[in-house]
Amino acid sequence: MYVSYRWLSRHVDLTGISPEQLCDDLTLSTAEVEGLERFAPHLSDVVVGSVLAREKHPDADKLSVCTVDIGQGEPATIVCGAPNVATGQKVAVATPGTVLPGDFKIKKSKIRGVTSAGMICSVSELELGDEHDGIWVLPDEAAVGVPVADALGVDDWVIEIDNKSLTHRPDLWGHRGIAGELGAIYSRALQPLCFEMPAHGQATPYPVQIESEACSRYVALPIDGARAQTSPDWLRWLLLAIGQRPIDLLVDLSNFVMLDIGQPNHTFDRQRLSDQGITVRMASAGETMQTLDGEERKLQPSDLLICSDTQPVALAGIMGGEGSKVGDDTKALLLEVATFDATTVRRTSSRLGLRTDSSARFEKSLDPTMPMRAAAYFARLLQEIQPEVSLPAAPTDAGDWTDPAHSLMLRTERVRQALGKPIPDEEIGDILGRLGFVVEAQNDGFAVGVPSPRATKDVTIERDLVEEVGRIYRYGNIAERVMTADVRPPPPDERRVFVRRIQDRLAGSAHFHEAIGYSFVDDDLLEKLGMLSLPHVRVVNPANQGQDKVRRSIVPSLLSGLETNRRRLSDVRLFEVGKGYLPEHSNDRGEPRERHLVGLVLAAPPPGKQATFDADGFTQLYGVVTDLLDALGLEAPEWSAGEALPSWAHPNKALCARYPDHDEPAVILADLEPGLAPAFGLSGDLTSDVALAEISLDALLDAPRRGSRYRPIPRFPGIKVDVAVALPTETPSASVVESIIKAGKGSVADIELFDLYRGESIGADRKSLAYHVLLQSESRTLTDKDERKFLKRFEELLGELGADLRGGSG
Amino acid sequence: MSQDLEATLAEAKQKILACESAHALKDIERIYVGKKGVVAGLLAKIPGLPAAQRRDAGKTANQLKQAVLQAVTARQGELASSEIEAQRSGAGFDATLPPGRTVRGSLHPITQVTRELEDLFQSMGYQVLDGPEVELDYYNFEALNIPANHPARDSHDTFFCEGDGHLVMRTHTSPVQVRAMERLEPPYRIVVPGKCFRQETTDASHDHTFHQMEGLVVDKDISVAHLIGAMKTLLRGIFGRDLEVRLRPGYFPFVEPGFELDARCPFCDSGCSVCKRTTWIELLPCGLVHPNVLRAGGLDPDEWGGFAFGLGLSRLVMLRHGIDDVRHLLGCDLRFLEQF
Repeated sequence: MYVSYRWLSRHVDLTGISPEQLCDDLTLSTAEVEGLERFAPHLSDVVVGSVLAREKHPDADKLSVCTVDIGQGEPATIVCGAPNVATGQKVAVATPGTVLPGDFKIKKSKIRGVTSAGMICSVSELELGDEHDGIWVLPDEAAVGVPVADALGVDDWVIEIDNKSLTHRPDLWGHRGIAGELGAIYSRALQPLCFEMPAHGQATPYPVQIESEACSRYVALPIDGARAQTSPDWLRWLLLAIGQRPIDLLVDLSNFVMLDIGQPNHTFDRQRLSDQGITVRMASAGETMQTLDGEERKLQPSDLLICSDTQPVALAGIMGGEGSKVGDDTKALLLEVATFDATTVRRTSSRLGLRTDSSARFEKSLDPTMPMRAAAYFARLLQEIQPEVSLPAAPTDAGDWTDPAHSLMLRTERVRQALGKPIPDEEIGDILGRLGFVVEAQNDGFAVGVPSPRATKDVTIERDLVEEVGRIYRYGNIAERVMTADVRPPPPDERRVFVRRIQDRLAGSAHFHEAIGYSFVDDDLLEKLGMLSLPHVRVVNPANQGQDKVRRSIVPSLLSGLETNRRRLSDVRLFEVGKGYLPEHSNDRGEPRERHLVGLVLAAPPPGKQATFDADGFTQLYGVVTDLLDALGLEAPEWSAGEALPSWAHPNKALCARYPDHDEPAVILADLEPGLAPAFGLSGDLTSDVALAEISLDALLDAPRRGSRYRPIPRFPGIKVDVAVALPTETPSASVVESIIKAGKGSVADIELFDLYRGESIGADRKSLAYHVLLQSESRTLTDKDERKFLKRFEELLGELGADLRGGSG
Repeated sequence: MSQDLEATLAEAKQKILACESAHALKDIERIYVGKKGVVAGLLAKIPGLPAAQRRDAGKTANQLKQAVLQAVTARQGELASSEIEAQRSGAGFDATLPPGRTVRGSLHPITQVTRELEDLFQSMGYQVLDGPEVELDYYNFEALNIPANHPARDSHDTFFCEGDGHLVMRTHTSPVQVRAMERLEPPYRIVVPGKCFRQETTDASHDHTFHQMEGLVVDKDISVAHLIGAMKTLLRGIFGRDLEVRLRPGYFPFVEPGFELDARCPFCDSGCSVCKRTTWIELLPCGLVHPNVLRAGGLDPDEWGGFAFGLGLSRLVMLRHGIDDVRHLLGCDLRFLEQF
């Protein structure tokens, strides 16, 4: 909201208070000032000139050469193109060096051979209006040589107040309200304003019928003898200062009343209304009306209408109708000043996307005592400008309203306690009094009368009064205090501990980079993954088309940027800790099941022929995940070939880790489904070996913990034995490991696979596995004899598997 | 020792001194004192000597051996120290060659700042809580004293979820206030980091998803003075020094009185682009918990009070690293992520 400093000073004496000071004080006590700007700064540079002579330009038909007294020695010669320039006029002159709006710098220049020392300005050149068909003619009394702003007394400052900080203050949506705050801050009284209804005739009052509770009060005042005219300068300048374009007296006055005392109002051309009077009712389904902006509006039964007889003439509190608006020929007016239900106005205006100055005010719950005062104020102002205006009848005051003014008990000790400052009773009473509250001392505090403008919504409980005292007292005057309490360590939060360890492990030794993705997932991405038809929590008003779904899982988000990352890097390692939502598992309150997940992606060029057997992404990521579970102190899970896999997983190269007593797999680890690679741009140069994993934190929290007992350091040296085994491709390596353990008869301390080979030398359909085996005893030093026994038993066991020992050495 | 042997020793010493490598030195040593060396030759001859000479011959052969070995050891020492000298000269060292590359991962800057704050708060007895991103309308609005049709709802630019309208994407971390009150026994202090959502047009300074940290203290006899103290401590923790602060009225329906806390811009003295030339930066909306919110959480406002605050984590991260486009934060572009 824009507020004019000069306008404020009509209501409260601002002597000695600079605009900057005022803004700081408003910010610290009332509402955030977002900006302070000088009104039309160029009006302080442009000076008043008097046209002494006007002659035709010798070389151009449409130009005149004017001699203008600008109060500085010799009169200036100025070439002017406007048809209305005339001798004896007072005009606005921009002298060389002046910068006009649009960064337009005035220079001394030759125009068709005549040197022009400046420019006589039009209204539009000074950005004060649209009229550009002639120069701006100033009033005769303007003093020559003085800056125009001073000569006209329109020097002003425009203050912008953050609307959000006024949401709860219906009383501050006009200059008088803000002036009231300044009065309280500076202890200065408001200038009195007369709200008494002028004399009126005895005609039958205008008929008004209210059929809806959404209108609690409707004041209708017929006005005769008004005529269209340009508003007087004082009014125009005030409107201009806050960025309102002056239009015509009746429109300007209606706006002025709203901007001055915060009460919206509407003027109808009475001749265009039916004799049946005004009916206020809810719209019926399918009804339409054309609003002032020319739009045809489709209405709903929740919209409140002002009707002339049955015909809608205004969307209550939002905008008038095209059919009944005042025009140049309007003589008989009907002034509407009403109180409409905040919610009704808000709902309709947001549904129609039609926010107006009026609706913004009604939404805040306006004071129902205002309409009659505002009607009187309007009538008085109009009569001051057009004395012939008369009121044929008494105003109609319809509706069932009650004065919201009420009384609250304020325990002054509560004020001191909540603010943490020993403010004496007298000071509390004084502050409240300055703010317009009626204060009466009672036992341990005050009975506080809340005046109607503050009582509609804002000040309803004792605590609200604490704020009133605090903000005027100034929070800056309250010294900080240290809280004292028994500080106990918070209960352990295992999930948080897990998350931190996982992040540290991944970003550390596993050198993964952490990403945080959006919770919304693109339809395009889901479509690619074939996940579009899964149930998702969806928002009805997405920020972008095709982004209405809340993710179930983290992995898809990690896949989305893979192509860009791979283009730059051969080794992409990303993880994210985040949440997924499953709407099909909602609880009885309707909350979807929340999953806490960790997603990982590892992508690199496919390993070359010379690469070691464990260089592929899957094996690497398997290692990372296993290490992670170990680092969390969990028992090793049961790994098995994946089933019921998500669509991103390779159907035949996937593993699931499970823990007892938890249905959901703790880890799903897989290569990317091969068919998806092209869709993610991972073909040609970017062909990649992509391994993915999703870890369920919920499952990990349920997992059994590994003991953390120390293992004694072996007392006797062990023997290292390397074995290489050739076996059918489909025989699992686990069976070899089993045989090693069995053959060792309790002496196998460690087994490490160090080679996996498939090739012609060992025959088709066969593979070779090579292991380092450590044999160790707790009671003696093992010897060559033990090694030979081990190898012999091992070879026998391999025979049962259809495998051969290709070599064994210590 | 005979003259012959004297000459042999002199010759050996000369060779040893002239020797430039440990390897060559070994060879020389072998020639003189090896199994088939000069000394061995002398000793081999002893049995053929008259008995009276044997004793002396053995003695002189041994003297020769000792003398050669001594010379070799001395030369070995010299060679070793000249080797160290040579290493020490560092010939070929280029001080401008780059350091070796280490492979590393990274934590997201939001994670980093969240952790710092969690640690700071935990050290002051706060408990870290979590809340859902898909939230009930009740906790996001209703319980926070923002009933249906309250005008403050408009400014929240809420993403509404499909269904009967009781689910929203939480617009702030504040819903955890009442969730916490329902669960915990007062007094308590909590912070809640997490994602929030606002349906607004995305640009360099606005994203529809951002991170916040909520704080809530519930205790007896909590005042604005305590709030100011706690916020100053918090800022000291964040910026590592004392910043002048000011508290001004701010309207949030779930606090009363409500404030905006501004801090003196830590990046300038006289106005910069961060503080929009005002020298103040708006950092923390805060206030005393509204009695209605305490009631919604099952607490008696005459017995319990508290304060609450909200910290913009995304904004803090941007300030800290000078990030000029909020959209970099969320997503998986490694060009951004690997910098942290």
